[in-house]
Amino acid sequence: MIYVLAIFLPLVGATIAGLFGHWLKDKGAQIVTCGGLLLSATFSVIILNEVALKGEPQTIQIFSWIISGGFEVDWSLRFDTLTAVMLVVVTVVSCAVHFYSIGYMHHDPSVPRFFAYLSLFTFFMLMLVTANNFLQLFFGWEGVGLASYLLIGFWYEKPSANAAAIKAFLVNRVGDFGFALGILGVFLMYGSIDFDTVFNATPGKAAATMEFLGGTWHALTVLCLLLFIGAMGKSAQLGLHTWLPDAMEGPTPVSALIHAATMVTAGVFMVARLSPMFEYAPFALDVVCVVGASTAFFAATVGLVQNDIKRVIAYSTCSQLGYMFFACGVSAYAAGVFHLFTHAFFKALLFLGAGSVIHAMSSEQDMRHMGGIWSHIKLTYAMMWIGSLALAGLPFFAGFYSKDMVLEAAFAADSGVGFYAFWMGIIAAVMTAFYSWRLLFMTFHGEPRADEKTMAHVHESPKVMTIPLIVLSLGALFAGYIGYDAFVGTGMNEFWGKAIFVLPTNTAIIDAHHVPLWVKLLPIFVGLIGIGLAYYMYIMRTDMPAKVAAKCWKLYLFLYNKWYFDELYDKLFVQPANYIGRGLWKEGDGTLIDGLGPDGVASLVRNLAGRVSQLQSGYVYHYAFAMLIGVAGLVTLYLYTLG
Amino acid sequence: MIIQALSFYLFAFVAVAAAVMVISARNPVHSVLFLILAFFNAAGLFVLIGAEFIAMILVVVYVGAVAVLFLFVVMMLDISFAELRQGFLQYLPIGGLVGVVLLAELMMIGGTWIFAPAASTVKANPTPAIDKTTNTEAIGNILYTDYIYLFQGAGLVLLVAMVGAIVLTLRARPGVRKQKISDQINRRPEDAIEVKKVQSGSGI
Amino acid sequence: MISLNELMPALPEIVLACMGMILLMLGVFRGDGSTRSVSWIAVLVLIVVGVVLSSVQNGRMTAFGGQFVVDDFAHFMKWLIIIGSSFAILMSINFNERESIARFEYPVLILFATLGMFMMVSANDLISLYIGLELQSLSLYVVAAFRRDSLKSSEAGLKYFVLGALSSGMLLYGCSLVYGFAGTTSFEGLATLFKSLGGTGPSVGLVVGLVFLIAGLAFKVSAVPFHMWTPDVYEGAPTPVTAFFAVAPKIAAIALFIRVLVGPFGVLIADWQQVIVLISIASMVLGALAAIWQDNIKRLLAYSSIGNIGYALIGLATGTEAGIRGILVYMTIYLAMNVGTFCCVLAMRRTGRMVENIADLAGLARNQPLMALALAILMFSMAGIPPLAGFFGKLYIFLAAIEAGLYTLAIIGVLASVVGAFYYLRIIKIMYFDEPAEVFDRSMGREVRAILVGTTLFVTFFIVRPDIIVEGAGTAARMLLAG
Repeated sequence: MIYVLAIFLPLVGATIAGLFGHWLKDKGAQIVTCGGLLLSATFSVIILNEVALKGEPQTIQIFSWIISGGFEVDWSLRFDTLTAVMLVVVTVVSCAVHFYSIGYMHHDPSVPRFFAYLSLFTFFMLMLVTANNFLQLFFGWEGVGLASYLLIGFWYEKPSANAAAIKAFLVNRVGDFGFALGILGVFLMYGSIDFDTVFNATPGKAAATMEFLGGTWHALTVLCLLLFIGAMGKSAQLGLHTWLPDAMEGPTPVSALIHAATMVTAGVFMVARLSPMFEYAPFALDVVCVVGASTAFFAATVGLVQNDIKRVIAYSTCSQLGYMFFACGVSAYAAGVFHLFTHAFFKALLFLGAGSVIHAMSSEQDMRHMGGIWSHIKLTYAMMWIGSLALAGLPFFAGFYSKDMVLEAAFAADSGVGFYAFWMGIIAAVMTAFYSWRLLFMTFHGEPRADEKTMAHVHESPKVMTIPLIVLSLGALFAGYIGYDAFVGTGMNEFWGKAIFVLPTNTAIIDAHHVPLWVKLLPIFVGLIGIGLAYYMYIMRTDMPAKVAAKCWKLYLFLYNKWYFDELYDKLFVQPANYIGRGLWKEGDGTLIDGLGPDGVASLVRNLAGRVSQLQSGYVYHYAFAMLIGVAGLVTLYLYTLG
Repeated sequence: MIIQALSFYLFAFVAVAAAVMVISARNPVHSVLFLILAFFNAAGLFVLIGAEFIAMILVVVYVGAVAVLFLFVVMMLDISFAELRQGFLQYLPIGGLVGVVLLAELMMIGGTWIFAPAASTVKANPTPAIDKTTNTEAIGNILYTDYIYLFQGAGLVLLVAMVGAIVLTLRARPGVRKQKISDQINRRPEDAIEVKKVQSGSGI
Repeated sequence: MISLNELMPALPEIVLACMGMILLMLGVFRGDGSTRSVSWIAVLVLIVVGVVLSSVQNGRMTAFGGQFVVDDFAHFMKWLIIIGSSFAILMSINFNERESIARFEYPVLILFATLGMFMMVSANDLISLYIGLELQSLSLYVVAAFRRDSLKSSEAGLKYFVLGALSSGMLLYGCSLVYGFAGTTSFEGLATLFKSLGGTGPSVGLVVGLVFLIAGLAFKVSAVPFHMWTPDVYEGAPTPVTAFFAVAPKIAAIALFIRVLVGPFGVLIADWQQVIVLISIASMVLGALAAIWQDNIKRLLAYSSIGNIGYALIGLATGTEAGIRGILVYMTIYLAMNVGTFCCVLAMRRTGRMVENIADLAGLARNQPLMALALAILMFSMAGIPPLAGFFGKLYIFLAAIEAGLYTLAIIGVLASVVGAFYYLRIIKIMYFDEPAEVFDRSMGREVRAILVGTTLFVTFFIVRPDIIVEGAGTAARMLLAG
């Protein structure tokens, strides 16, 4: 019962808050949704205990969804360790964000709508992680996309928010197209889209081939790559990442929930969930690994020079997602999911902390206009430190355990892509530490750069915002330490059960425990270098950044403009699409189709109708004549066809 | 035999010629008279094939009643036929074309006349031999037995026609004095006659 | 000798004929003051006839030496006719009084027309076909001109009469050709004859006769090109009469059409199919196109009925059981939709005078929302929008056409119904979106309101239990093809 309740309480909350928001007022909507989420989070912890720790995976059948010929889809909830971990992540972070939003959004005129969206998003995310077949997964997948669209565009009166929402939606469509193709391909191959059926049949299909785009390919590789395109879209991997920074137009709690902790990790979750398929498609795994590693590096470089506090964190998220993917790419799914788990806490913490800063600075987001406020908002400052330490992977914070595990696994994979990923990860780690502390120093230290009025207003956030921060900071502090054994340590096999499948020959995750000492120490070391560099440039020699930027202005501009991805896409896709679209609209649709089609036919019909009406003269002899002609015509026709 | 053939051609020719005159005569009264002539000749044709009953009916009903009625109507109504005929020429080409086409087709059919081979097996009422029973008797025999349904139906058609004619034309005009026979019969002497004792020499 | 038992199958007709004459007598002796009671009695008679009809109905039976036949098909059609006729009488009661044309002959003539239709539906011989047809037509000519003081009504009656006579002539000419080439007028005789022909095919003259016969019948169902009378007569005749014209005679004529073509001439389907297809296409296209420019709602409904007959003829063109079932379902739904719509037309009355322009409906939704809703539902149904009944009517027809491989016909039908949807939806647009015109008198009359509500409910909730009608129609079609 609690299994079903945990999933559907957010939906109930969303429905009530969404439909009866006017009547409930802000308070009622908040109580309904936050209450639902609190219960849901509690149940999730219980579920995690039962499913993962006691090892009792469950599948709960709800009803038969679609039966069409040989195509049968049930609606059922799958609870295994992977699901349970995600459940906890989603509900706990969502719960914290819900509470935080009470404070953050209290000025907003449409609070019930916000909470309804938030809960709706949570529900779809839960649908996604409990999916027991591809279609259900897709349902949740699209559902979170929808909720994400609604929340990014929550302040729909802002044109930039609208544009960002549309961009997020469109870029995700590209990924979803691949995903949908992948699902169709799975049905084609297996005749079923049920996870268990597909997974059980996979070993037998290891060598199968299929026709695709005019060539014959290794079937599983094609399917996995298509599915991975979906994951890339949702998880903002290199190429399809452009929507994520723009998505920061949404309210900050949304960024924390959707664009840091949960939805963007759906891709990682999907790859982990489909590990039984990916394991048999080594090439696809390599692609996953390379894409992940490149994203980690790319996003970190861009993060170095951004000035918007939320964008820095957004690129950091992008980069961290890259880590998770390359962990999966070397078959260390457990490490990837472990990093996902810890990352959810410290990144949500960072976002909410940033939100708290923005809140304190009267909605100022540009770090160049901040500085010197640490003494005014000490609690937030402390929280940001914890988050950053965890992100940089300094010892004993959550990120330390998971990030090191990811890097060690990449090293231990002992393959070309593994080394590529390892070194990219190390470089990214330097930069991660650098930009994290750059953010800290620019925001909290130095001379206050904001105007006096703003500075006078700087204040600590209310309790309803700080308590979720503290809860999350506990996660950022201890999640790694607590989870290490179960997720990737000695208790690993027992913990995961059958939720994750790794071929016996892919031993990266096990070997990761036996890598040379320098590999283990290197991430800490580079992290410290990054912090030191940031301290040097932003505390000791504050004129340095400008000098460096001036010296390597080409590189600076390249990074500042995010490698010109947006411009490239604009040139490559948006403008031609616009041009073609305009042409098709004006010429194709307007002139050709409307002219010949609706408008032309309509005027033709009107003309004909006028003529036909004129036949009706009112003279009896005309009528009689028509009848005679008719009968003569029919007889003639008959005789004519006779021969 | 030769007389029979000759009379057939005579009757047929006159009938067709009269029919042509019906539609081409300028004077409508002439048209009706030609119609009567056509009827007479048709009756003659019926006699030739031994259907004397139908021939008589044709004369009695069509000539005696219908055509005379027509004549009255035509004479009573003041119709300018010249006006009616104005459109004639205008529509002649296309009308003629349709007529010719239909005629040609029907002649074609006539040329391929093949009496259905199985027709005799499905005949409902074989014609009795002429020498055994008269036409009238033969028709009467089946009209009130086999065809009672149609006979009654036709009766209803006539009834409806009558009702229709009355509905559409009968008007109760106020102020018209009509003879009411029942009133006249019901009149008693007391209603009409007053008997007064008159004293002689005093006046009334 | 005919024993009484042999007359049993014709009992409903006998009752109808006798009661018609009795009512005529009653009216003659009681005068025009008795119109109301005569009307109600006539409705009662129709109901009694319906009961008798259902109670004597038992499989396929013939009477009068095979000139008359009763089967499930006839039973189904006769019930539709009874419903159409009773509605026509009920709708007229108040109307005729208001228009001061309340005369007792009206219900009597409707009864006789009904009798004629019964005879048509049950015809099993070319002569009984003709007699039934004439009985019905004569009654209709008279009721069309029933408002004899109105020029339009008289003109309508006269036009109908003249053209009807012409069509009867064609029909008779066709019958005589058929008789001349086949030697029999009995349907059974014709059927045996054609079956015995084997592969040789009928003689040309016979089929030409059939074409003439079809032309005569097509006039009665007002199919193109024999439709020209329809708009003028619909417009000129009093509205209840128009309602009657739109349903009962159409049903009877299409029944006759089916009985003749599928029955004795069923074997010759290859010969008559193309004729029906042509007529059907022409009717659908003309019905859809010509209605667009109409201002008068009765003329519009006339063209609509021409189009509808076109759809029904699709079912006939298939000549299959599914097609005939489709026609029966279609005509049932058509009956309900038309009667309901004419109820609304009857209610279009301002300061005691009838108005008939479509523009007069403007803003009805604000003045009389319930009537506007009913009319909107009926129009949506006529346009064939699911889930209303009209959609299913078309669906069964088109399904049958597809099954029979008449793809062109089905496609043209769908296209025509798209065009047709324009003018149905235009009425809705005028009612709901145009500036309100003056208010109509609120004196619809109880009977009319009840009929309107009933038909609208039928049209709306047909989807709930379509099987009642569809199964009845299926049985009727099966029996017709088997017999």
